[in-house]
Amino acid sequence: MSASLLDPPPHISPQTALYLSQQAPHILKSSPTSSLPWPLSLLFTSETPETWAVHENLLLSCLRTGDDKSARLCLDRMIARFGDDNERMMALKGMYEEATAVDKAGLEKVLKEYEKILAADPTNMAVRKRRIALLRSMSRPADAIAGLVELVDSSPTDAEAWAELSDLYVSQNMHAQAIFSLEEVLLITPNAWNVHARMGELLYLSATASASGATLKGITESMRRFCRSIELCDDYLRGYYGLKLTTQRLLSLLSTHPKPSHATTDPTVGDLAAPSIVTVQKLHELATTKLAEIIRRGSSKEAGWSGYDQAELIAARELLDRDAQKIER
Amino acid sequence: MTLLSTSLNALGLLLLTHAVYSAHEHTTLTPTSPSTTSLSAKLPFDITLELLSSVLLICIGVVLASPDLKPIQWSKWAGKLEREGRKEVREGEIQEGNPYLQLEVRKGFLDIREKRKEFADWVRKGATSLS
Repeated sequence: MSASLLDPPPHISPQTALYLSQQAPHILKSSPTSSLPWPLSLLFTSETPETWAVHENLLLSCLRTGDDKSARLCLDRMIARFGDDNERMMALKGMYEEATAVDKAGLEKVLKEYEKILAADPTNMAVRKRRIALLRSMSRPADAIAGLVELVDSSPTDAEAWAELSDLYVSQNMHAQAIFSLEEVLLITPNAWNVHARMGELLYLSATASASGATLKGITESMRRFCRSIELCDDYLRGYYGLKLTTQRLLSLLSTHPKPSHATTDPTVGDLAAPSIVTVQKLHELATTKLAEIIRRGSSKEAGWSGYDQAELIAARELLDRDAQKIER
Repeated sequence: MTLLSTSLNALGLLLLTHAVYSAHEHTTLTPTSPSTTSLSAKLPFDITLELLSSVLLICIGVVLASPDLKPIQWSKWAGKLEREGRKEVREGEIQEGNPYLQLEVRKGFLDIREKRKEFADWVRKGATSLS
């Protein structure tokens, strides 16, 4: 398992978390800071910048696996090193209290604590984010959204906050607002291929949920987003999956509506015209061949193709099989 | 490839050393009095040839030994990351996955209670499947 505490993978599975937190005794055995007085402590310390990154990641995985004692030890060490009033330490301490709170009253107490910190210093971003995360975790999404809107209002270039806001809106089925928030993310990180794919997925969801008139427009837009994500990233499984899904849907839609209402680009609104059926057909073929190639090479773990997620490969194969069955019938 | 480049480099270095040594010998052994013509003081052609060829060999060896070039086009680079995923290239050196994944994981908004529940469920599931 290639997971190190210094640089853990972004998605931590329970197995990985367990593996990481089992390294706690080894790391906590020796103290990184020296107990000698000041000038000597500089010479006789084993502390490196990585030490604290390791401690922070260890704290997170110990909290996840319920090893609260090791987590407390990590936290105490970091607080002793960086002080009680460090913004990051305040957020980590709050997270520890959230995790160890036993009932709702305990969580309310943590929330009160956050609000007290924020009243003293409203610019404490780490704690503001923790407060929103806690509100969401306590199933109070409306309050979380209100807090986040305030946060992005004061810090509009925070891509992480916009992405969280979009996710919260999706959980409340507010697709238009979610798409707007994701557009803001794309303004900040225009090359993020996974955000383009996410946008395509949201547009697809909202188009399938909306009335029939707007479906064609929504699916077309979604297809364009998936195309952009593929343009930014070769062999992007998620992008090709979305492209195949949207073009399939568009083909059936375009065949039932042979004449789209607006055949040309509308200059006043800036809407692009619906694509011609030939273009969609070609894109569909491209997506099918690329998906087949990715599945073939990805599942046989060819050299340089082993990075795909197994679940994603299985889902893509299912999509292809469903399509093949339809042709046979 | 490594064997080829190492042997080329070794051969090149050997030839280079030899050529430099020969040139040194030549200058010490030829009399440098003004009476001799400049023609005899000139370095023999074979030493020059040996020197140039050794430098060429070393150049080829060094180029062959260099690691693969990294993709400089965005889509190729991103495609490489997607295909290969996160992995350890060498001991202690990890090739990063998609750097924008952070926008979907969002560490600052980590819901620790949810993750704890997920882990507890995983443990319980493992315990029931074992028994």
